[in-house]
Amino acid sequence: MEALDPVIHQPARLQLMAALCQLGAGLRVDFTFLREQLGLTDGNLGAHLATLESRGYISVDKEFVARRPKTFVAATEAGRTAFASHVSALRSILAPQ
Amino acid sequence: MNISPEEATQALREIEASRSTMRTAIQSHRGHYYLWLWGLIWMATSAINWLGNQNPWIAPGLCGVGLVLTFAIAFLQGRQLRARVDKKFVAVCIAALAFGYIAWPIILGPPHSYKAAFGFGMVVFMQLYVIGGIWFDNYLLWVGIAVTVLTLASLVFFPGLFWAFTLLCGATLFGTGYYIRYFWR
Repeated sequence: MEALDPVIHQPARLQLMAALCQLGAGLRVDFTFLREQLGLTDGNLGAHLATLESRGYISVDKEFVARRPKTFVAATEAGRTAFASHVSALRSILAPQ
Repeated sequence: MNISPEEATQALREIEASRSTMRTAIQSHRGHYYLWLWGLIWMATSAINWLGNQNPWIAPGLCGVGLVLTFAIAFLQGRQLRARVDKKFVAVCIAALAFGYIAWPIILGPPHSYKAAFGFGMVVFMQLYVIGGIWFDNYLLWVGIAVTVLTLASLVFFPGLFWAFTLLCGATLFGTGYYIRYFWR
């Protein structure tokens, strides 16, 4: 049986990982776009991204677009695997073997 | 970590809500704008030709407009959602386009002489060398570029020395083989 991941289970991070894993492989999303979609504040989103990045679940790239700094975020392979395991653990709670 | 079935249900609901929000948001970032744009350009060019206007600048003009709009769409979409660019794949596309739109039709053209036909035969293979070299990240890229440049330059600028250049092309392949066998580490 898969175990729940306490890092992912926190509500905002759960929301974040679900959103990022919805993106196709190789796609990255802009910080501002993500913030607007999820209704989080700058500080809140930044802190949760830092936590997920420190676990290797997401990658954060900073680059310039039209001379403006932009932050792009994507789920890593490790993050996708961890999230899938977490979802599977949640389902197994509802339908125990 | 243990949670109740109610908490698990709530978490799964939140996951589905977040997925659904993202699904809706990324729908507008798919490739449909490019397909619509180039589909329209293709149809317009075909219709204009069909109606009898054979002006040779219409197709390149429409394609030019299409390219500008393509870059504009890519720029606007890239501000929110962006794909990781595989530089090797982009280089392969550029190599294929450069051979397809420049080396073949503009420099070589239909083989109008024995020399052009000979050069054509060489550059066909060099296209494969360049693409293979980019894809597998090896020496074939440089051999392909060198022989292509020598062949095209001799045809365009030094037609009197064409055979001397092709001899040099052959020597480039032979020398590379020798170097690879005995000196490459």
